[in-house]
Amino acid sequence: MSKKIVIDPITRIEGHLKIECEVDNGKVVNAWSSGQMWRGIEVILQGRDPREAWIFTQRICGV
Amino acid sequence: MKKQNHFALDEKLSEISRRDFMKFCGIMAVSMGLPIGVAPQIAEAITNPKRRPPVIWLHGQECTGCTESLLRASHPSLEHLIFDLISLDYHETLNAGAGHQAEAALHNSIKENAGKFILVVEGSTPLKEGGKYCMIGGRPFVDIVKETAAKAAAVIAIGSCASWGGVQSSPPNPTGATGLPEVLKGTTVVTIPGCPPNPYNFLSTVLYFLTFGKLPALDDKARPKFAYGRLIHENCERRPHFDAGRFAEKFGDEGHRQGYCLYKLGCKGPITNANCPSILFCDVGAGAWPVGTGHPCFGCTEQAVGFKIPLHTQAEVSQITPDAAHAPIETEQGKGLSAGAAGVLGGIAGVAIGAGAVIAKQLGQSEEGE
Repeated sequence: MSKKIVIDPITRIEGHLKIECEVDNGKVVNAWSSGQMWRGIEVILQGRDPREAWIFTQRICGV
Repeated sequence: MKKQNHFALDEKLSEISRRDFMKFCGIMAVSMGLPIGVAPQIAEAITNPKRRPPVIWLHGQECTGCTESLLRASHPSLEHLIFDLISLDYHETLNAGAGHQAEAALHNSIKENAGKFILVVEGSTPLKEGGKYCMIGGRPFVDIVKETAAKAAAVIAIGSCASWGGVQSSPPNPTGATGLPEVLKGTTVVTIPGCPPNPYNFLSTVLYFLTFGKLPALDDKARPKFAYGRLIHENCERRPHFDAGRFAEKFGDEGHRQGYCLYKLGCKGPITNANCPSILFCDVGAGAWPVGTGHPCFGCTEQAVGFKIPLHTQAEVSQITPDAAHAPIETEQGKGLSAGAAGVLGGIAGVAIGAGAVIAKQLGQSEEGE
């Protein structure tokens, strides 16, 4: 009988991460990692002056 | 001078000497536009554990840059001070526990400290499609923030994202990223915009709250007047070049190398309210702020400017310097734009910030001289 473990939120990281784990007989048989936050920086960048792209992409992660 | 009892903090925070601690309190006082004589009151508030309030720090759509800037503050062991000054009950980047342990810490703190804790929010709140673009523990961030704010003693939005939406609210704003004052309509939210904000503006606000039990005077955008009362243009170290008509025309040209005014390269200093030129960043001395390093200000503290007006577009100057040779009897300064009006309103606080910077420098010098 497999058991599912969910850890959400994952702390000590930048952003919002969720880890799901399927454990069967003491063994991990399946695992999923998913980002829980989306800002759409890629969408915002479309059609902009390339000279200012760094202002946006730089802010994907501040760590 | 004899050591006083309430400086027992010295032992607790062994890295901080009493001199450094009092210097810090003095700098904090003047940076808030208060007389330096208030420093002992600030010291008392810091060392009096009865007032050490729990802080819950929530993260929405953000990059953690605000937290980083706060952690990087290198005034004598400031991170120790802030973590001993407050009781940080929940902070996803710093929590030891994860998952349900972290969530339990949050719920327990809200329950035990209802009406007493300070809520700090970093990052914007996505409102599109039921808030599904930011989920924590399976719940939309918008629900969590509303629920938590309803029980807080004070709410502080740190950074431009929490203040007005920030980078992800740029058109077309795919997730409906919204600032906290808009999400929590009817609640007073102190905003400390900046990308990243200067950590001392945040710390000063918290210290003010601890010392006086109320929030500092705010402008029409709920920003502390002591920090956002003046335009960058008014305190800029390159302002004399602007007034004399000496401009960098291109990146790397002779004017740029000479440290001339960056207005023609798109500097947004004339339409951006912030104290960057007065308090600088990272405690490394003169020039440590964007314009000081030779890059135009891009207006990160202003909702209508940062990530909105293109980087290299010239700003409209609202306050033209009168001609010194023919000073008019009636000047028309500050007419027209609201940014200018805000600058005039916050004038008194702005002067105090200038004085604070000078006093801070003098403190440093006198110590060296001893």
